[in-house]
Amino acid sequence: MPREAEPSLNERQFVLQALQENLRLDSREADRYRPLEVTFGDEYGVAKVSLGKTRVLAKASAEVTVPYADRPLDGVFQIATELSPMASPSFEVNRPTETEVLLSRLLEKTVRRSGALDTESLCLVAGQKCWSVRVDVHVLSHDGNVIDASCFAVVAALRHFRKPDTSIEGGILTVYTPAEREPVPLGWLHSPFCVTWSYFGEEGEMALLDATRAEEQVRVGSCTISLNRHGEICQIAKLGGTPVEAVILLQCTAIALTKVKEFSAYLDKKLAEDIKRRDAGGRSAELTAENDR
Amino acid sequence: MPLDTSAYSLALLRVDGRRWNELRRIHAQIRTQAAADGSSYLEMGHTKVMCVVNGPSEPGPRRGGVGGTSAAGSGGGGGQSKDAEVAVSVVVAGFSSVDRKRRGKNDKRILELQSTISSALGASLHTHLFPHSTISISLHVLSLDGSLLAALINAATLACVDAGIPMTDYVAACTAGSTSTYAANDESADPLLDLNHQEEQELPGLTVATLGDSDRVAVLVCESRVQVGRLEGMLAVGVDGCKQVRGIIDRVVRDKGRRMLQEGTVEKGVGLEDMDLD
Repeated sequence: MPREAEPSLNERQFVLQALQENLRLDSREADRYRPLEVTFGDEYGVAKVSLGKTRVLAKASAEVTVPYADRPLDGVFQIATELSPMASPSFEVNRPTETEVLLSRLLEKTVRRSGALDTESLCLVAGQKCWSVRVDVHVLSHDGNVIDASCFAVVAALRHFRKPDTSIEGGILTVYTPAEREPVPLGWLHSPFCVTWSYFGEEGEMALLDATRAEEQVRVGSCTISLNRHGEICQIAKLGGTPVEAVILLQCTAIALTKVKEFSAYLDKKLAEDIKRRDAGGRSAELTAENDR
Repeated sequence: MPLDTSAYSLALLRVDGRRWNELRRIHAQIRTQAAADGSSYLEMGHTKVMCVVNGPSEPGPRRGGVGGTSAAGSGGGGGQSKDAEVAVSVVVAGFSSVDRKRRGKNDKRILELQSTISSALGASLHTHLFPHSTISISLHVLSLDGSLLAALINAATLACVDAGIPMTDYVAACTAGSTSTYAANDESADPLLDLNHQEEQELPGLTVATLGDSDRVAVLVCESRVQVGRLEGMLAVGVDGCKQVRGIIDRVVRDKGRRMLQEGTVEKGVGLEDMDLD
């Protein structure tokens, strides 16, 4: 199993001593993110997110399947993560590392369990037909903070995604092609985002946002907080590591909320721009089959 | 399905008759297994957990990477690193809950639990004293009634104490919740201590683990939607509960130590017969 190269003693000391003097390697402030950029593909449901040198691609897709027997009124929704050797040599295909398991659990808790996607709206015929929505997350380049970038990509991809319109007449289900009817967006309830804090120092007294790869390798602990802009916590995960004062964790949550509001506003703006770009002839309002909720 | 806990506001009593700040009965024993280096048995209400610790010892042949997760910062690869590896395996018995569920070996929930326990204890254990070695902790869940992660952490701490592995302090854990769901946004919501399975299913809650008597939080896991304003109250109650739990497990260790002193050396494996396994 290929192992991640540990940073040398000099590298470790350099990063830590710089942090002691309140300096980060890229001269950011402690609570500043690297430039966050999201671009949408030509297809619906493709979002590419870059956070500094970290790059993540998420693609949403949908198909008609049979719902699970114990939940006949719900659609199927799953998030698949893949950390390939392309992102970092320590990742292997088909053998999930600890990082990958924790990442997929976090996305699952943040987006799926918090009920961001209305799975009941994916039901077509109760107990027989439903939509199965799947998001594939590919980490293209790993330079720290994959969690926040992946979560942003998943939410962006799902909100950008349009599924084909359908109708049922006389028990016959018809799925329309984009040429026949304009595809419809998913039933979306709220947009959760992850904010990851990294802790440094003997007692974890130093907290940084958006750690780079070098900082992640020397940190003593981390805490991922998922919130939406309404101030609801969807998930908190501080899975071990050096103990941190409870008061610091509360302060971190408060700052995380302001960051989430920024993310939310940024994504709304980008989605509006994308709709405008697609709507070249100004006729999409007539074509849409969507009703107001 | 969801059970009605709205009766709480009438008598301020929970479904099992506790008040908001009461823990369930915690019963713990250490040195229950004769063959192991350290072992413990812990009950938090109806959640019953057994723990066996072996090591620190030389790492055996690698077992395909399943179940063993490396301690925080050690960079994996037990035998090579200068810190001991803390390998945790959690087995949830099929008969532990009402519906018998088959759990695969690579259930991500279990893998996450293992990694959390390994990393939480790894920060308290003095792993740097045992380079090139492995401390293996195996946990068995016999009965499941909420607060699983908290019970597992407490049992693992006790077993590590029994195994005589040097550590900074106890890592004590418990859960806290809030009486109101996210939909009902009333301000009169009470925080609750130590959730059972029913409460865990329908109320927002979190698991806290603290180091010793301090306010320093080693593990904080929240898996449900809750207003950000509730966090402070829940965290305060949780940290306070951890201190109570620490007192209880400290007493267990001291009682056992006193008995061993009185009786000369106590043979390993005693105390198993008075264990309540029903």
